[in-house]
Amino acid sequence: MKKFITGSSCAIVFLAIALAAYLVLGFMDVAADRRPSALEAGFMTASLEASVRRRAPQMQNPLANSDDTLIAGGKLYLNDCVGCHGGPGQPPSHFGATFYPPAPQFPSAGTQFSEAQIFWVAKNGIRMTGMYPQGASYSDSQLWSLAAFISRARNLPPAVVKSIQPPLSK
Amino acid sequence: MKNFVLGFLATVLLILIVPLTYLRLGAAEVRGDVRAPSWESRLMRFARHASVTRSAQGIQNPLPHSDEQLIAGAKMYLDGCAGCHGRPGRPARNRIAYAPPPEFAHVGSPYREPELFWVVKHGIRRTGMSAYASFYSDQQVWQLVEFVQHMNNLPPAVFDAIQPKRP
Repeated sequence: MKKFITGSSCAIVFLAIALAAYLVLGFMDVAADRRPSALEAGFMTASLEASVRRRAPQMQNPLANSDDTLIAGGKLYLNDCVGCHGGPGQPPSHFGATFYPPAPQFPSAGTQFSEAQIFWVAKNGIRMTGMYPQGASYSDSQLWSLAAFISRARNLPPAVVKSIQPPLSK
Repeated sequence: MKNFVLGFLATVLLILIVPLTYLRLGAAEVRGDVRAPSWESRLMRFARHASVTRSAQGIQNPLPHSDEQLIAGAKMYLDGCAGCHGRPGRPARNRIAYAPPPEFAHVGSPYREPELFWVVKHGIRRTGMSAYASFYSDQQVWQLVEFVQHMNNLPPAVFDAIQPKRP
């Protein structure tokens, strides 16, 4: 038993030194244009989603489920989100793929999150990503309209798509 | 000896399983508007700095220092970087975001020119910093870097040249 404890203590010291050396000597790859392994990326994405599911409120969107809500959210989306997350009917955002983790492309890929979870992410942001907290810039009601729009971004009513199109600039 | 090895392996296994379980169950904080503990941000800043220094070894700035380079860099900076990193002469914004983009006009740059060049080209993983290699040529990135390094100490001619024009 005494040897078991000695072995255990040695393992703790060994791992602490190995981790410190890895970090301090600069071996942690920080380049955003080189992707981590699929194993790491998949695990971290799953962990992120699990954390959002655990923390975000479980509730329905308090706004009316109507085209007007989608249009209000769509206008905000086209103003502020489209640069990274891609626009409806447009190719995926190139800029959204230049950081890591890349921004999810809602119009083409959709999202697994509920509207309440989208609302929560938009409001609080996501740590250690480019997703900036928007709670200081938008009211809750604006963020709910945005959540409604994003959750249906892959399958928008044609009337909504038509009315949020920016006027053609010359 | 057998017990020693057993103790060693069991502990390694435990130390790997505990944080992975913690993460996978969604226990980790993900909100971007909640500050990380200061030991965590300091450790990660240190590790990031070490990694950038290591990656940028052997890179050298080929451009001569001149006012033209600074002005060219300033234009790109005000266009593409100032939104997150702040404009010279403006008050710093106290924004809670993790990891926060450094406000160069107030805190300066923690990196030397070759390191900054590398960061602009390749970005920083797990932050909002993009890899700009596909948007700017190497020469443009050097101009940008030059400006960032001298932002708080610009020659008066450059300072005047980059002020917004009044109609």
